Amino acid sequence: MGTETFGRAAAADPGWALLARVAAGETDAFTVLVDTHQERLLHLCERLLGDVEEARDAAQEVFLKAFRKAGELRPQGQLYTWLYRIAVNHCLNKLRRRRLVRFLRFADPMDGEEDAPAFDPPDRAADPAATLEARRRWQATRRAIEKLPAGQRAVLVLARFEGLSYRQIAEVLGITEGAVESRLFRAMRRVEAAQETNPSRVPPKEGLR
Amino acid sequence: MNRVMEMELMRLLHGELPPDQERALRGRLEREPGLAAALARLQKTWSGLELPPAAPVPLGFAQRVAARAREQSATVSWSAAPGWVRAAAAAALAFGILLGAGASRWTGLAEPAPEVQAQAGQVAATTSEPTDALLDDSLAASYWSALDDIDESGEAPSAGETGGDAL
Repeated sequence: MGTETFGRAAAADPGWALLARVAAGETDAFTVLVDTHQERLLHLCERLLGDVEEARDAAQEVFLKAFRKAGELRPQGQLYTWLYRIAVNHCLNKLRRRRLVRFLRFADPMDGEEDAPAFDPPDRAADPAATLEARRRWQATRRAIEKLPAGQRAVLVLARFEGLSYRQIAEVLGITEGAVESRLFRAMRRVEAAQETNPSRVPPKEGLR
Repeated sequence: MNRVMEMELMRLLHGELPPDQERALRGRLEREPGLAAALARLQKTWSGLELPPAAPVPLGFAQRVAARAREQSATVSWSAAPGWVRAAAAAALAFGILLGAGASRWTGLAEPAPEVQAQAGQVAATTSEPTDALLDDSLAASYWSALDDIDESGEAPSAGETGGDAL
């Protein structure tokens, strides 16, 4: 990598300079790197895997992978895009493996997904009925997402819950913006069909992202 | 409603339309109730997707990850080898096992006595999760790990994947 290329990328995102220090063996720099990106990566893994503990393990693996690959870095765009790409690939591999294990057990691949632990955040609403309703919506969303093919799931999660633009998603996944749009469109069709099957679980709510 | 129109509505919903196209489409939405209804449907689907707030970052997470990184950098292990090296080693090991099994069958050396076979059958029957055991085996783990490294190298997918729905 040329110094000029590195200079441009580092100017766009100082994270690359931090990663260069990691590559040089500065573990303190690595702690700063993890500290800076841990929240985003943990949340992304949790959205993709649907399990908090599994997401923590996955995020840790992603950071360790970044640590090992730091010396091979080719700075381009934003550092978080590179980290997101590693995280998405890692999580999708975990999901494929999860399905394979169920297939080898001669079980319906979706059986376990249905039984997967629901999100259980602390109750913030005072109204128990509202809390229950919110949990139902979350479970319905989780089910709809879990039934999506891996590529559509990644695009939907990045767009809806990470708030990434089509261009950013294309960068993370290494695909064209057209492919992002196409996957998102198909994902929306499937989600809509799932919501029509269980209309009571997903009440209408106003507001764009 | 055709797919092109629906995709344009989706771009509007996601704030991805250029300003002039957005103005034009909003003008059409005021004049065409069918189009407005389609947008409302998309909006309902989109906003109906809700998940709870993500769990907080566990205390000391960054420090723990850094400690593991230090451990790894101080240890020379298979995990430090390039993915293709580990994949080749796993494949060679599998080939060796198959070759060994074939040779023992051919020579008849490893044919166990009937009572031993019966005991082995009982052990196998008491194993509750054979597939998990297979997948947790070190050879299989090595294979998966090697594939991970190839897939998660942070590189863009191959050209065939860039334009379609391969993922």
